[in-house]
Amino acid sequence: MKFDVAIVGAGPAGLKAAIEIARAGGNVVMIDDHPHVGGKLNGQLHEEPNNGDWWIGVSIAEQLKQEALSLGITILTGTQVWSVEEGWKLFISNVDGRPLDNNMIESKALLLATGAIEKPLPLPGWTLPGVLTIGGAQVLTNQYQVKPGNRVIVVGVDILSLSIARAMKMAGADVVGIYIAPKNEFTSGISNPKELLSSFSSMTKFAPNLFMRLGGNVLKSAIGCSLAALFYPKNGMKVWDIPIHFRQSILAINGEQEVESVTLTKIDPTGNAIGESFLEKVDAVCISGGLSPQNELAAVAGCEFVRLNGLSGVVPLHDQYMQTTVEGLFVAGNITGIEGAKVASAQGVLAGSSINKYLSIGNVNEGNLERNAKQVEIVRETADITFHSEIGSARNKLQKLWEHRI
Amino acid sequence: MRIQKHPVMKIIEKEDVEFIFNDTKIIGKKGDSLASALWANGMKTLRQTEKENNSRGIYCGIGNCYDCRVYLQGSGMVRACITPIKSGMEFYSEDRGDMSS
Amino acid sequence: MPKDENYLICRCEEISLKEIKNVKNNGLTTSQEIKMATRAGMGVCQGRICRSLIEQLVAETEEGSCKLPSKLTVHHPVRPVPLGMIVNKED
Repeated sequence: MKFDVAIVGAGPAGLKAAIEIARAGGNVVMIDDHPHVGGKLNGQLHEEPNNGDWWIGVSIAEQLKQEALSLGITILTGTQVWSVEEGWKLFISNVDGRPLDNNMIESKALLLATGAIEKPLPLPGWTLPGVLTIGGAQVLTNQYQVKPGNRVIVVGVDILSLSIARAMKMAGADVVGIYIAPKNEFTSGISNPKELLSSFSSMTKFAPNLFMRLGGNVLKSAIGCSLAALFYPKNGMKVWDIPIHFRQSILAINGEQEVESVTLTKIDPTGNAIGESFLEKVDAVCISGGLSPQNELAAVAGCEFVRLNGLSGVVPLHDQYMQTTVEGLFVAGNITGIEGAKVASAQGVLAGSSINKYLSIGNVNEGNLERNAKQVEIVRETADITFHSEIGSARNKLQKLWEHRI
Repeated sequence: MRIQKHPVMKIIEKEDVEFIFNDTKIIGKKGDSLASALWANGMKTLRQTEKENNSRGIYCGIGNCYDCRVYLQGSGMVRACITPIKSGMEFYSEDRGDMSS
Repeated sequence: MPKDENYLICRCEEISLKEIKNVKNNGLTTSQEIKMATRAGMGVCQGRICRSLIEQLVAETEEGSCKLPSKLTVHHPVRPVPLGMIVNKED
């Protein structure tokens, strides 16, 4: 099977890129290992902080899918790419490793839009059935419409955990509370309430609603954060009627065969346990450790990488038009750094147009690329969701590293 | 654990799908993954670990961790979180040896 | 190490924090050495989950350019497939 462009990952970035290329006349194939396209869109359900509208990801995914099909884009679901070779050759199998009728795809350009993977947050009992990542809880609740438990706790206070805690409550679960991550060698900033509040205060786009709920201007200064952490109501503060416990954390998850309870503790403003621990009976625990780019195929493809905390991990080194250090290899979406669906979509359009120019598909010039790159910046500035307070400076560092690349 | 009503999402009653898990008949819904069908029936444990014989179920929910690995008759090893259920499928926690056919 | 401070690092191979700290105490200092000594990162998920944990335990987390995303090698196949399929690719 030969195509102009092969795209691995049919989430928002992959879908938008495919549409951009097909509209210009390119022959595209999208490959995804899930049974449906849409990636994380399929689990997304939240109220937009800026205007109160509901973002229903699965509807957006369906629209994009219909548009892709109407443009003649080939979509292979339940299919995994286990290796790639420059030139490009993609080695595929069915999602369970079994052979397909066609085990290889050839293309002139390759776009990796494989998204993110959740970072683990280990603690005693984290392997018990009933313990899910926050993303797993999101998929179960919003995509499959099954609630993770009757009595659920959420570990980790961040944009995702707040949103999904709300989704579980709407699904009828009793969300006992959202707790600070346990203090261990893997959780430095996020297990420290004072540092956590400080990081929230610099995520200005998410600020308006969260601030108003967390006490507004008090958080805008370092002193304010210390005070907030110190005087934070010991019984937590409720957001959407769910307690957020800035002064409580978890020590262990307990159960013989499945989750039965958790051991909780009060903590001081820097996250150290104080006083006696106590038990809370629950049947599910959802852990939010953060997201990280999923870059395995990029490694196999041989491109260079950059580790930047503001991008939430290691990403393929790429220029402002989404081209990596390997000829004909492009990236878009969370693989380039964690920024969420809206930025991923804008990057998809940019990557698509960049590939079009590279392959002389349609009539793309430098001006088009500049406009699409500018659009990514605009979406970044106005998006309601930010995953890391240093995303802007990280993007600048990335560009400098590109300019001085090895 | 199946959601009955929801303030924003449309909850549509889907048709039943009958399948087997460890020799037990389970009824899920069309569109379920094996993981969601079992979870809706209150079953979170999917297998026991090889070394310590500890229970495991889904963890990442999107096919990355392989903790939800079970065996499908006619296929072999599958991940419960991304395997859609179909009528008549037979799943087992352990590899029974001749699973590929 | 108190029992309540011990937990698994590698879920696939069931390798605990205590086991990794033991090999570190015996002088191993890189993620690749820890992987070879304990099997952490060598399970069916191919290190996808525990790679970042092992890296944090040996402080292989510096910002900046790198030729590879991790000192723990990532090579094909990036998902488990039968040996026959890999061999056929080489033809």
